[in-house]
Amino acid sequence: MAAIEVKQVVFSYGSEPDAPKALDGVDLSIEEGSFVALVGHNGSGKSTLAKLLNGLLLPTRGKVEIYGDDTADDAKIYRVRSNVGMVFQNPDNQMIASIVEDDIAFGPENLGIEREEIVRRVEWALDKVGMLEHRKGTPFKMSGGQKQRLAIAGVLAIKPRVIVFDESTAMLDPRGRAEVMQVAHELNRNEKITVIHITHYMDEALQADRVVVLDRGKILCDGTPHEVFAQAELLREAGLALPAVRQLAQCLADAGVPIRTDIVDEQELIEALCPLL
Amino acid sequence: MSVVVTDLTYTYSRKTAYEKTALRGVNLRIETGEFVGIIGHTGSGKSTFIQHLNGLILPQSGSVQVLDIALTQKKCPKADLRRLRGSVGMVFQYPEYQLFAETVEKDVAFGPKNMGLSDDEVRSRTEEAIRLVGLDYDAIRAKAPFDLSGGQKRRVAIAGILAMRPQILVLDEPSAGLDPAGKEQILSLICKLKRECSPTVIVISHDIDEIVRVADRLVVFDRGGILYDEPMGSLFTHAAELRAAGLDIPRAVRIADALRERGVALEGDILHDGDLFAAILRRYQNAHGLPIDAEQAVERARALGIGRIAELAEDGV
Repeated sequence: MAAIEVKQVVFSYGSEPDAPKALDGVDLSIEEGSFVALVGHNGSGKSTLAKLLNGLLLPTRGKVEIYGDDTADDAKIYRVRSNVGMVFQNPDNQMIASIVEDDIAFGPENLGIEREEIVRRVEWALDKVGMLEHRKGTPFKMSGGQKQRLAIAGVLAIKPRVIVFDESTAMLDPRGRAEVMQVAHELNRNEKITVIHITHYMDEALQADRVVVLDRGKILCDGTPHEVFAQAELLREAGLALPAVRQLAQCLADAGVPIRTDIVDEQELIEALCPLL
Repeated sequence: MSVVVTDLTYTYSRKTAYEKTALRGVNLRIETGEFVGIIGHTGSGKSTFIQHLNGLILPQSGSVQVLDIALTQKKCPKADLRRLRGSVGMVFQYPEYQLFAETVEKDVAFGPKNMGLSDDEVRSRTEEAIRLVGLDYDAIRAKAPFDLSGGQKRRVAIAGILAMRPQILVLDEPSAGLDPAGKEQILSLICKLKRECSPTVIVISHDIDEIVRVADRLVVFDRGGILYDEPMGSLFTHAAELRAAGLDIPRAVRIADALRERGVALEGDILHDGDLFAAILRRYQNAHGLPIDAEQAVERARALGIGRIAELAEDGV
């Protein structure tokens, strides 16, 4: 079943007819339960697409449907927003309360959910991101990785079926990045939440089931990480780097070493090199 | 000598419940002309350390000497602080958030203007700085900084620092948040600035694979102290030590180690992907021969982002 259907979407930030198009004819269907990485250079339209997925932006032309609900339909927008949670780049911009549990409760409170259920959800959400012991703590004293996990918990408390991570790892150190990625994968695996992960880190894209590459508002390629990263020339034209190991394998092959070029991880590279050297 | 730091200790919120010691007896000397890479986990003290270098934080105990200006616990003369801030260019994380003026030119001119320079001097330095960061002065000077792309904004922010002609350039995570191409361009730019305008460069990064491609010396901060400080070239002999301390080691070192364990000992010092690539090619060539020239292949790989940072392309915007 498709969680998300993006149909022939065009989007411009300006209203005049010749305004540049941030998205220019995007068709994308995302299966429930999948983990999709969305990559592309700065200005390729990734974040615009993310904001279209929960109706923060509405398509200039075309249609976005979340479990069949059209995001442009006023009567459906609340259901769309509670189905699609967003986690943004800067953890400091997503905290509103001075105590962790109050912050997590903000979403469900606004949905008018009764108190006992809110308490249950806050506890569940904090547990899922490994932050339950900090429930009485204050977000402002926490590390970037911890703050981002709280932002995820805040979204979880609304019980979304889809979470969009819009460069949520970009401002974190390697430890924080690893924490957030682990939580994202656990939610996908254990809670069956569909994950759309927007990132500039190719090693994070490698961990997804599917990689979608955007370039100047269009989908340039779409497939498993192995399929997508096999297309070296195409990615370079889109201003994207190959994952480091993949690039190394490519350069070796170009120099005449008979090595597979679809290698993306270190262990694979080591296995492939041993018999050759 | 550019920087001499002796027994530097710093504690935040002293004598309160939130007391936290960020630096414990740090000693560090940086010579003029060095390119130092600083690495450390969040909370290791590296940001507190660099804020001492232009007097944003004055030492609580110990001393900091930067160029000819000495900073101690005692109040530092205002004139010295002003001179220091002109001499040490500080590019903070996400420097584009500090852009504020209505045009690129005004923003870049802010620093030199505040140094009390003549209008002509301010104008010529502004133009020079904008060109240095690889932007087209005439095309961009009148634009609003907010209309630029992320990578361009960051360049404008760096130009604002360069316009003060600092003798020491300090950059905190200069490539954070940029796409892969933007990252590569910023790193190339920093290498170019090192060559052309600021003799001493200090870069903070979380990414050892990035630092190993640009810096000549590696300093690792850990829990408020310096855990490791060696020329970059000797990193591979200390890999086990760094790994034991829970720190990342460069990918190339990791792969070379794993190959050695499997009985494939590559020759030469392997630090970054470029070294690894060259060593694998040499070994394969000796055993089987290669259809193309190995040195040429290494140069081509460098242009693709493997190995030390390649020269900034002329149109590198």
